[in-house]
Amino acid sequence: MVVVTEHLEQEVSRFLIKEAELLDNHAYEEWLSLLTPDVRYIVPVQVTQEQGVPSRPTSGMAHLDEDYTSLEMRVRRLKSARAWAENPPSRTRHFVTNVRVEPGDREGELKVRSNVLLWRSRGDEPHADLLSAERHDLLRRVEGQWKIAQRVVILDQAVVNTRSLSVIL
Amino acid sequence: MAANGERSELQTVLRELARGLEKGVALARIYNDPEIFEAEKERIFARTYGYLAHESEIPNPGDYVVRYIADDSFIVIRDAQGQIRVLFNACSHRGMPLCRAERGRATSFVCPYHGWTFNSAGELIGVPAEQEGYGGRLDRSAWGLKPAPRVEIYDGLIFACLDPDAPSLREYLGGMAWYLDLLTKRSAAGLEVIGAPHRWVIDTNWKLPAENFISDAYHTLMTHHTMVELGLAPPDPKFAMYGFHVQAGEGHGLGIIGPPPHISLPPYWGYPEEIVRSLQQNYPSAAHVEVARRTNFLHGTIFPNLSILNVMLLKDPGSPPTPMLTVRLWRPLSPEKTEVWSWFLVERDAPSWFKDLSYQTYVHTFGTSGVFEQDDAEVWCGITRAARGKMARRFWLNLQLGMHLRPDPTWPGPGTAYPLDYAEANERAFLRAWCRYMLEERPKASRRRSSRRRS
Ligand code: FES
Ligand SMILES: [Fe+2]
Repeated sequence: MVVVTEHLEQEVSRFLIKEAELLDNHAYEEWLSLLTPDVRYIVPVQVTQEQGVPSRPTSGMAHLDEDYTSLEMRVRRLKSARAWAENPPSRTRHFVTNVRVEPGDREGELKVRSNVLLWRSRGDEPHADLLSAERHDLLRRVEGQWKIAQRVVILDQAVVNTRSLSVIL
Repeated sequence: MAANGERSELQTVLRELARGLEKGVALARIYNDPEIFEAEKERIFARTYGYLAHESEIPNPGDYVVRYIADDSFIVIRDAQGQIRVLFNACSHRGMPLCRAERGRATSFVCPYHGWTFNSAGELIGVPAEQEGYGGRLDRSAWGLKPAPRVEIYDGLIFACLDPDAPSLREYLGGMAWYLDLLTKRSAAGLEVIGAPHRWVIDTNWKLPAENFISDAYHTLMTHHTMVELGLAPPDPKFAMYGFHVQAGEGHGLGIIGPPPHISLPPYWGYPEEIVRSLQQNYPSAAHVEVARRTNFLHGTIFPNLSILNVMLLKDPGSPPTPMLTVRLWRPLSPEKTEVWSWFLVERDAPSWFKDLSYQTYVHTFGTSGVFEQDDAEVWCGITRAARGKMARRFWLNLQLGMHLRPDPTWPGPGTAYPLDYAEANERAFLRAWCRYMLEERPKASRRRSSRRRS
């Protein structure tokens, strides 16, 4: 089992910051290289329920429910001049904080939780969309590099306040 | 009076639009105008059937979901006896919403303000300090939760109408019911909704998506060009042209598309053989089976704001073509904001491998992140923005696509079918129905029931 040291925490934080930079720079192909081939990327739909009802994962629906093939397809799509949702591209800024690192269940794996605030601005409209979420990642060490093997993004809203989730959280 | 002046200006615009539609043009201002929007809430959404939920979302007694018709919130609940009720989500005492969750299960609702308590049928069953406070004079039976004036269910689809004089849902649907059967009657077990709906807000007027789904096969060639580039749709950018464009009456309509020439696509949307066998047994007529056999893509709108989409797409370029079914509601929030509610449905008795594949196909292509839907949102936001200003007040849009087409007399279903889905006939018919409501003329079906005109 991995021992979580301060050094390791720092390394994981730096990894997530680097990842955010790639996304904000629209370097999606490089971003893909941070994923394992068996990656799962899920953004469940949030549903407001009475206190005491387990809040997740009960909605049974997801905004995104992806594997490597579908993420690669989305990335390939974004390169087309006719992917209108992102042409012109959104200006995004990922603010990643509150990084928490725990050993994973398997050797070479870490469970990492982080908070993310995503600013998305399109065109010359003065207002921007702001999305807040907690990310539950599974990181795996592959040939000396950390890779994302799983990400579950828990959105802090039931009704999504952006015209489309054409951006990665 | 100013109010009368405004009203007559609105009437003038509507009459002008009605005349324009005969020539195939529409005024852009209807897509972003606060006055028109307010009138729509009164004249369209308070008089037409609004879609709320599917029965499968509330399978057990006490199960409820909270849904909306424009601004009004309703608790859609299966009561202790198993009957579906649609109750205005406001306490009968002072109006506090009783239910602030989106869904759940309850035997009763307790109001957080003064504690009045209602059972799952909406009856008032508890009043704190009733003796002291009301001296035994409160007639509990008169103060239950207010039900929606009309509630009707069609093959599991629950609708309500705020107008007690409205025609029956069956009458309201007119010819559209025949086409709805193509989706709802494939299996004797019926459809089920999987999970919660996608809910998100698009800066668009609600009519743009409603019209897009009822009519606009034409846009797929440009807006959705990347789908052909990626191989998620047939390898012909004009694939959505090869179909029938059907006006189903009363402002409802749809497009039914088969394979493009020289491209072979599986019959019956590519449904697995179990479902094909079951539709052959369950459809109400041989004509349904015949239409379904040559269908790969079906898009439509039930007036005013419920759209249906049953299409065969790929979840990713390496996967087999797979049909998926979604119904979606364009809930008006403001002249330039619409909340989308998008449900994924599948036959209850479909094989589980198929349910999974169809779910993934839906999530990848439609819904909040769908690679089809993303690009639609961009266009609808743009048009809404363009319609905001003074130019739009005199800006006539072209709805003339397919005006040269003649109906196909051999079409086996009800309504008028044009033999090419690149047409805007449905959009014109949608806006004609919209004009009729906005001018407060009741549609044919309901005039019989009520000759009363509002002043
Ligand atoms: S408002 Fe509900 S009990 Fe008073
Ligand atoms: Fe579209």
